[in-house]
Amino acid sequence: MNVLSCSINTLKGLYDISGVEVGQHFYWQIGGFQVHGQVLITSWVVIAILLGSATIAVRNPQTIPTGGQNFFEYVLEFIRDVSKTQIGEEYGPWVPFIGTMFLFIFVSNWSGALLPWKIIQLPHGELAAPTNDINTTVALALLTSVAYFYAGLTKKGLGYFGKYIQPTPILLPINILEDFTKPLSLSFRLFGNILADELVVVVLVSLVPLVVPIPVMLLGLFTSGIQALIFATLAAAYIGESMEGHH
Amino acid sequence: MKNVTDPFVSLGHWPSAGSFGFNTDILATNPINLSVVLGVLIFFGKGVSLSDLLDNRKQRILNTIRNSEELRGGAIEQLEKARSRLRKVETEAEQFRVNGYSEIEREKLNLINSTYKTLEQLENYKNETIQFEQQRAINQVRQRVFQQALRGALGTLNSCLNNELHLRTISANIGMLGTMKEITD
Repeated sequence: MNVLSCSINTLKGLYDISGVEVGQHFYWQIGGFQVHGQVLITSWVVIAILLGSATIAVRNPQTIPTGGQNFFEYVLEFIRDVSKTQIGEEYGPWVPFIGTMFLFIFVSNWSGALLPWKIIQLPHGELAAPTNDINTTVALALLTSVAYFYAGLTKKGLGYFGKYIQPTPILLPINILEDFTKPLSLSFRLFGNILADELVVVVLVSLVPLVVPIPVMLLGLFTSGIQALIFATLAAAYIGESMEGHH
Repeated sequence: MKNVTDPFVSLGHWPSAGSFGFNTDILATNPINLSVVLGVLIFFGKGVSLSDLLDNRKQRILNTIRNSEELRGGAIEQLEKARSRLRKVETEAEQFRVNGYSEIEREKLNLINSTYKTLEQLENYKNETIQFEQQRAINQVRQRVFQQALRGALGTLNSCLNNELHLRTISANIGMLGTMKEITD
């Protein structure tokens, strides 16, 4: 019996270690829909961070920017640069969209990597980055799809659909398929990267709680930033691609 | 045996916390690692790259502003200079205009005067020429009349001269000459 209880203890320890929750959600019933409450909560926090910092930064604008204003202007310059390189000369109206995408994804990813969400316990699931959930990334990717369709249609009218038979009409199926693969790849890339990051960190923390996860967390920060940049760049590239004409 | 299988059975159901709350397990919530990561991020971000970047940006903006201020100052100065030059040139032009008018006026007077003088001279010449011509005509007329008179006298002499008259004239002349000699003696 002594051996048995010993093995039970071991199993209990194993069970505790394996207490990594994947696919557990904190459901809210809104209308006829089940929504993932933890994603909404963290999204709200991210939105609050973004709006609050932006409000603070533009509260007292100076001719010679200092501190926060300087930083935010630098961020804006960076976003404008990205949109300009990807979209081309008519990038102006798309800066807000690209900037929103980039900042939301970036702050979401970093909030997942930097904020101690796990301190707050939910009835089900756990708080994590909003981009950790496929619904968020799919929503962002679909927004990108809508955006590039809108860009193409407003620029070229119905002639936009001429690009589907652009090199040869044989490529029509592939060109149509592209419209589905674009949001798919966008959403899955972001979702997979962030989920993998956080899972690796959680697993490492459950195995060795101290020091060892730190390099992986730093790597996670790096990847998160890169992912946000990739998403924004690709969105801008799709918009630019649908707006450029072969006249 | 039941004790052994229990954990495996319960693996199917995750134990839920049931409600909102705070997880106070320091190892599970991972605040130590997070604070280290945050510290590293802030140290490297603020200390090394970001502050440099922002300083450079600020410096660039400052330089741009200063440059444009300088350019603006230079442009204003040049404008001022150009304006003063314009004013000077305008006054000079005005002076030139006034001077030119007076010069022209004077030239005109001079010209009129000289023309007047020339006219007078021409008038004089004309008068002299007329007088000269008159003189010449008078001379010619005189000569003609003289010649005719001489010719008449010669005719008269040729037709009226005979011996008696000739002798008488000669003796009268001799007498006249003789008296003249006596007078002179």
